[in-house]
Amino acid sequence: MNTNLKISNVTKIYPGCIANDNVSLEFNSGKIYALLGENGAGKSTLVKILSGVIIPDEGKIYLNENNLQLNSPLDAKKNDIGMVFQHFNLFETLSVFENLIIDSDEQRESLREKIDSIMKKYNFSIDLDIPVLNLSAGQKQKVEIIRCLIRSPKVLIMDEPTSVLTEQETSELFLSLKKFSEEGILIIYITHKLKEVMQLCDEVAVMRRGKLVSVSQIKNENLESLANKMVGQNLKTIKKKKANISSDQLIKITNLNFISEDPFETNLNDINFSVNRGECLGIAGISGNGQSELFQVLSGEILSDKNSIEFNKNYIGDLNPQERREYMVAFSPEDRLEQAAIPQMKIFENVALNNFKSSNFFNNGLINEKKIREHSKKIISDFNVNTDNIDLKSQFLSGGNLQKLIMGRELITSPDLLICFNPTWGLDVGAINYIHETLIKINEKNKSIILISTDTDELLKLSDKISVINKGKLSKIMSADEVTSEKLGVLMGGGEID
Amino acid sequence: MIIDINFVGLIITSIMASAVPLILASCGELITERSGVLNLGVEGMMIIGAISGFALMTVTGSLFIAVFGAMLAGVLISTIFAFLTQTLITNHVATGLALTIFGIGISAMIGKNFVGIPGKEFPVLFNSLKDSIPFLSPILFGHSIVFYFAFALPFFTNYFLKKTKIGLIVRAVGDSPESASNQGINVRLVRYACILYGGAMCGLAGAYLSMIYTPQWIENMTGGRGWIALALVVFSTWNPIKILIGAMIFGGLTIIQFHMQAMGVRIPVQFLTALPYIVTIVVLVVISRDSRKIRLSTPSSLGKSFYKDN
Repeated sequence: MNTNLKISNVTKIYPGCIANDNVSLEFNSGKIYALLGENGAGKSTLVKILSGVIIPDEGKIYLNENNLQLNSPLDAKKNDIGMVFQHFNLFETLSVFENLIIDSDEQRESLREKIDSIMKKYNFSIDLDIPVLNLSAGQKQKVEIIRCLIRSPKVLIMDEPTSVLTEQETSELFLSLKKFSEEGILIIYITHKLKEVMQLCDEVAVMRRGKLVSVSQIKNENLESLANKMVGQNLKTIKKKKANISSDQLIKITNLNFISEDPFETNLNDINFSVNRGECLGIAGISGNGQSELFQVLSGEILSDKNSIEFNKNYIGDLNPQERREYMVAFSPEDRLEQAAIPQMKIFENVALNNFKSSNFFNNGLINEKKIREHSKKIISDFNVNTDNIDLKSQFLSGGNLQKLIMGRELITSPDLLICFNPTWGLDVGAINYIHETLIKINEKNKSIILISTDTDELLKLSDKISVINKGKLSKIMSADEVTSEKLGVLMGGGEID
Repeated sequence: MIIDINFVGLIITSIMASAVPLILASCGELITERSGVLNLGVEGMMIIGAISGFALMTVTGSLFIAVFGAMLAGVLISTIFAFLTQTLITNHVATGLALTIFGIGISAMIGKNFVGIPGKEFPVLFNSLKDSIPFLSPILFGHSIVFYFAFALPFFTNYFLKKTKIGLIVRAVGDSPESASNQGINVRLVRYACILYGGAMCGLAGAYLSMIYTPQWIENMTGGRGWIALALVVFSTWNPIKILIGAMIFGGLTIIQFHMQAMGVRIPVQFLTALPYIVTIVVLVVISRDSRKIRLSTPSSLGKSFYKDN
C-alpha cells in the first residue's frame, strides 16, 4: 500500500525567530527523502512537528488524505509515524528489553519473539538484557529503530542519524534504510551532510532560515549545487598549505593513564604522542571514546603524573589549568557555554576569566575594568565577533560568535600550543570557515595545535598528523597525507589497518 | 549471666516496631525519588500524619477514619509540594525544606489542644498465638496491621518496580523525563502520582508513631525520623530491600541504647542517644564509597525540574 504524507503550510514561531515559515511538502512511499539544511534551518522543528513533540502554530498534516491532529508523541505513534531522534530517547539505566517494552502493549514473550524476528530479518545483534548505557552509539540507534519497527510504521523519520556513527555503521544503516524503503516504509532523512544525501536519497528538500528553499531530484543535483542552496551563498574552499614543520618538539605525552571511578566516563590507556612546533595533531574518534577525558587531562582539569606531560622541557602533568596557562598553553573546550564561558556573565567578564596572573587585569585584588574592556574590544575586532556590545551576557551570543570570542581570548596572548576540542561543533558554514582559517594561521606562525574532533573532514583538512582514539586507546600516529576517511573509519570502529 | 530467650525475642520485637515508621516513610520516598523528584519534606509530612491521625482518633473515636485521615493528610500536604514543583516548576530542595518547616509548625499549632490526652489502644492481630512458640511468637504475632503492612511493603515495592509496567514507567521517568515525554508518557502525571503516594506513606508513618508506637501527641514527636528515612533511601541505593536492613540497624541501635541506659552503662546519656544517628551516618559514608554503584542506581534526573515546552 502506498503511503502519502503531506505537510501543508506549517508555521511555527518562537520569540525572536521563525522556525518554520509556511512550509509545504509532500512525500510518497518507495522513496527516500532528504531534508537538508544547516543547524538552525528549521528541519528539526519540522520533524518534531511531524512526531508530535512540537505543536505548530498554523498548518496541517495529512497522512493518506487524513488530517492528523498530532498533539503528543503518542498521536504520532498511533498514526504509524516512527521517529529516531538525534539525541537518543533511551533510558540509560534500564535494560534494552525494558526500553522496548515500555511503550508496547504486548506481552513479554510475544514481544521478545517479535524483536527477535526483527533482529534476524535486518541482521541486528543486540543483547536484550544489558543496560542501554553499555551499548555503543550504533547499537543504541538500532534499539531506537527496533522500537519504531515493532509498531510497523508507515513513516520512519531519521533525525541526523549518522552524527554518532562510524563509516561502517553508517553504511550498515544505509543498507537497512534502503531495505525499509523497499518494503514500503516512507523514509524521511534529516541531515546537514551533503555526501550522505547524494549517497542515499532519491529526492531532496533544502531548508534555510525556516523556509523551504527547493525541492528537487537527487539526479539533478551535485555536492556544490546543494551546498550553495543550503548556505545561500557561494562558498570558498580553504586549503592548508603544506608547511615545513620543524623538528623542535614542543609537547610530549608519555605513558599517560587515567582510570575513572565514574562508569559514564572512559578510561585512558597508555597514551603516548608528541607534537612539534608549527604542527597540528588531529585526534579523531567517535564521541564518547575518551576524547573529553583526554582533553581534561591535557588541560589540567584532571591531574596526572607530573612526568607524563612534558611541555617545552618542563614537566607539567600535575599542574592545574591556570598554572598550565602560565607556560603558554591555551584551551578551547567542547562545551562553549558551560565549560569555556559563563553564560550569565558579560563578554568582558568572561574575557578576564582565563587571565588571573600574567595580565594587568587585576590590581591588588581589585578588577581593573578599564584594561579588561580595552582588551575585550581588541578581541572582538581582531576575531570578527559580530557584536559591539561587550556588556552583553555571553549566553546571548550565537555559537559561532561565542566560539570566535573564546578563540580570541585564548589566542590573543599568542600561546605556543592551543588544545581544542570540537571547535566547530554545531556552527554554521561561515563560522566554521573562519575558525578553520584561524587555526591554519596559528600553524603558519609556528605555533602548535592539538585538535580533538569528531568531524573527520575537519581533521583531514587541518591536521599534519592524525591519530584515532577508540575506547580510551590511541592508535599509531599517521601522517595526514597517508590517511583517508575510510581508514579513519576503520580505526574509529576499533578495527585494525596495516 | 543468663539471657532469657524470650527477653531477646522482646528486644527484637521492639527493634522491629521502631523500624516501622522508617520503612513506611522510606518506601514512600523511594517511589517519589525513583520518579526523579527529591522531596525533602518527609519529616513535615510525617508530623502532619501524626497529628492528623491522633486528632481524628480523639475527635471521631474511629481508628479507621484516623489512619486513613492521616494518609489523606499526607497526600494533601504532598499535593502542595507536587503543585509547586511540577506545575509551578519550583526548586525541589527549597520546596521540600519549606514543607518540613510548615509541617512542624502547623502540627504544633493544631496539637496544642491534644497534649496530654491519652491515646486509644490499637487492635492487634493473632494475639491468641502470642504464647504458642517461645522466642518466635512474640516476634511474629500480636502486632497491629500497620506493622505487618510495613514489613511486607519493601517486597511489594521491589516487585512493583522490577516486574510491573507502571513500575517500569516510574523508573523510566526518573532516568530521563525528556525521553519519557517523547515516548508519550505523561511525566507530570507520573510524578504527581509518585509524590502523592510518598505523601500517603509518610502520613501513615506519622500515624503509626502517634497512634500505635507511643499513643499520644507530643510536639515534634517524629524527632528527625523523616531525615533518617531520607538518608535510608540514599544509603540503600534506592533498593527497598536494603531499606529494610537499614531501618533495622537504626531501629536496633535506638532500642539497644535505651537498654544500655537502663542497665546503667557508664557512657554519657547524650552520647548514647546520639549513637544511632552517628552509626547510621558512618554506615552511610562507608557504603556510599562505591560511587559507581550509586551512580548506576541513582535516578539520573533526581531533583531536576522538568517541563515540556511546545
